[in-house]
Amino acid sequence: MTVTEAKPIAGSPNGGSTRGIRWRAPKRRSSMTRATSAAAGIFLVPNLVLMGIFTILPLIYAFIISFQKLNSLGGSQYVGGDNYVKLVTDPVFWQSMANTGVFTLFTVPVGMAIGLAIAVLLNGVLPGRNLYRSIIFLPLVVSGVATGVLGAWMFDQNNGFINRFLSSTGLGAPEWQSNGPFALMSIILVTLWQRVGFDMLIYLAGLQGVDPAVQEAATVDGASNWQRFRYVTLPLLGPSTFFLLIMNLIYSFQVFDTVWAMTRGGPGYSTTTVVSYAYRLSFDEHGPQALGYGAAVGVAIYLITLAFTAVQWRFSRSRDQTDA
Amino acid sequence: MEKFELSRRGLLMGGFGAASLLALSACSPTASTSDSGSKADLGKVTGTISFAFWGGSDGETAGFKNAKAKFEAANPGATIDLKIIPYESFFSGIDRGITAGKAPDLFRVDYTTIGKYSSAGVLMDLSPYFTDSETKAFLPALWEAIKFDGKPYGVPHQTDTTAIIYSKSALEAAGITSIPNKLEDAWTWDEFSKVADKLRASLPDNKYPFAYNWTAAGAFRWANLLYQAGGSLLTKDLKKSAVNSKEGLKAMNFAKSFFEKKWVPANNIVKTATYSDNLFVAGTAAMTFVGDFQIPFINDVKDGFKGGEWGTTFMIRDKKAASDLGGNAIVARKDTKNPKLAAAFLKFLASEKAMQYFCEQAMELPTLTSLTSKNLSYVIRPDAMATFTKQAATITDAVVKESTVSAFSAINTVLQDQLELAFQGKSSADTLKAMEDGINAALAA
Repeated sequence: MTVTEAKPIAGSPNGGSTRGIRWRAPKRRSSMTRATSAAAGIFLVPNLVLMGIFTILPLIYAFIISFQKLNSLGGSQYVGGDNYVKLVTDPVFWQSMANTGVFTLFTVPVGMAIGLAIAVLLNGVLPGRNLYRSIIFLPLVVSGVATGVLGAWMFDQNNGFINRFLSSTGLGAPEWQSNGPFALMSIILVTLWQRVGFDMLIYLAGLQGVDPAVQEAATVDGASNWQRFRYVTLPLLGPSTFFLLIMNLIYSFQVFDTVWAMTRGGPGYSTTTVVSYAYRLSFDEHGPQALGYGAAVGVAIYLITLAFTAVQWRFSRSRDQTDA
Repeated sequence: MEKFELSRRGLLMGGFGAASLLALSACSPTASTSDSGSKADLGKVTGTISFAFWGGSDGETAGFKNAKAKFEAANPGATIDLKIIPYESFFSGIDRGITAGKAPDLFRVDYTTIGKYSSAGVLMDLSPYFTDSETKAFLPALWEAIKFDGKPYGVPHQTDTTAIIYSKSALEAAGITSIPNKLEDAWTWDEFSKVADKLRASLPDNKYPFAYNWTAAGAFRWANLLYQAGGSLLTKDLKKSAVNSKEGLKAMNFAKSFFEKKWVPANNIVKTATYSDNLFVAGTAAMTFVGDFQIPFINDVKDGFKGGEWGTTFMIRDKKAASDLGGNAIVARKDTKNPKLAAAFLKFLASEKAMQYFCEQAMELPTLTSLTSKNLSYVIRPDAMATFTKQAATITDAVVKESTVSAFSAINTVLQDQLELAFQGKSSADTLKAMEDGINAALAA
């Protein structure tokens, strides 16, 4: 609404005066606005309630219990910042951070690059492209635990499909379960298999939003296929890339189900990620069941994820134009 | 159906014997169970209570369903609401239920975890419901296993232990023809090492002599080697760690040699989704250390072992013979709305007929002394059960006492973490030191 659309009135109850003049929207428009606001509020209420119950309250509660010594049967004791002091001196926490960093480094850029390549391929005129798109997207609709169990079977170092195949081709049989780096690699591969479909889908949507006239103009200007992609298509996919970067970073930092189903964080702590460590500390019934300390790890994960998001929003040069 | 007579001598003269009772009684106050003024005679019971358990096998589920049906038939107006919950999330669900006040009235719990609940004061004290003569009906050491501060907090429902299952064809192919069929002839560590070496030499690189059952919550079964070497996890007063000893070093070095000599698959570690019985069933390991409750799985036509005939032999021994205390108790929640019905069903589950049927179906060992001299008609491989029954005699006093301390669940977590690191290259000395610190911290908490 602009000031020029409003008429000055006297005695506005809202007290919104400027130099003695009170402004109010035309009556008809004001009632429409109120109706629209009420409707918006009604639509928002269910989401706000659900978000409050399942996101905000647990978050607040996690902060509270991170200052407590709390076991699985409910006995609690306030310990101040002890859990956080323990956190910064806990070598397993830092190893889990490093593992998560390596996992993120390999899953985010690689997954996005593969997703983009497939999207470009399937954006063209290709026989059966809908079938290919469906096949590549399919792993995403399978639950993470199911994917992890499938991954555990495939990467079983004694009898799994992968090692049988590799052995038959004379490439040897890596110790996917008992060798730390190989175990982490197996989780990365399974995650990529699962996530590439999502990257492809978002890039596909982005590609279909690229104006063909711009491509044609570049062709008329003498740009090669690669130059068209590099200097025209890719920059125009900026919003998609930004969205995927944020989402994938968060997904990678919160990876749990695939890890737990495939390796339980082992061998040793080689594949223990921050979330799987928090789970092991708090909820694994054969673990320490230290809910307070586990909550402190959870708070650390929250703050790191928050920082990632903030930094990306601040420095990204290719944010969605509508957000400018 | 083939029948097997449980060895009274084996069970009563071994670790579950009178010596065990005396030793345990000496370190805990006497239970306040007496005939006078007790509620042992419960009379008519009515109402509904819930009972949660994990169906480890079809046989276990059948045993509990049979108990429910028989109990309800004998007690018109009483209903037992069975809740079968997957083992993987069983105790976290129970814990959430307890904190929310909505846990099942009765639930199943293993002897190594019961202390966590009894020490937290969330279980019903069964002292008033059992007479002295009723408590004496149980194998003494197992009755002691469900006590905390001298009071019973559950009924010992069944027990199990570890022995060895092997592929007959794999051992024959390796020229191993002398397999112990008597407890006193069980392979010593040296003899077992030679057997493993022979198997290693005869098997291809991707097959292994054996697998050990220390995965996940089974980590405490490493202590079998410790006990066999003459050591113990805890001091005699159960107040401190005793693991960091020369016996501990011997046991740790022996366990680590399994990997160094490629006797076990490299993924037969603690933190893995692949258990030792999986490795045997898949044909990756020629033998496996395994609990008798896994017999139904190994014998399963569809998913079980398909490598021909399999046999059983006894747990290995060193200075001593020793095997772990497996099995479960059934407990009642302290704040159950119907304690009388809960106690009545607990007593029924531990009655001779119900326990016998359960054990025969589930391939597990009874806890009532009267059943140790009775013919049990095990529905699957009674010959295999003969080995496990005799093996139960090697569940020593130390095993029972140490496995049932209230902090054992936390101690087992320490064992999991440290064994895993040891198998990944951490030195035995450093591992034992870390175990000692962790166990002491768990005991002090």
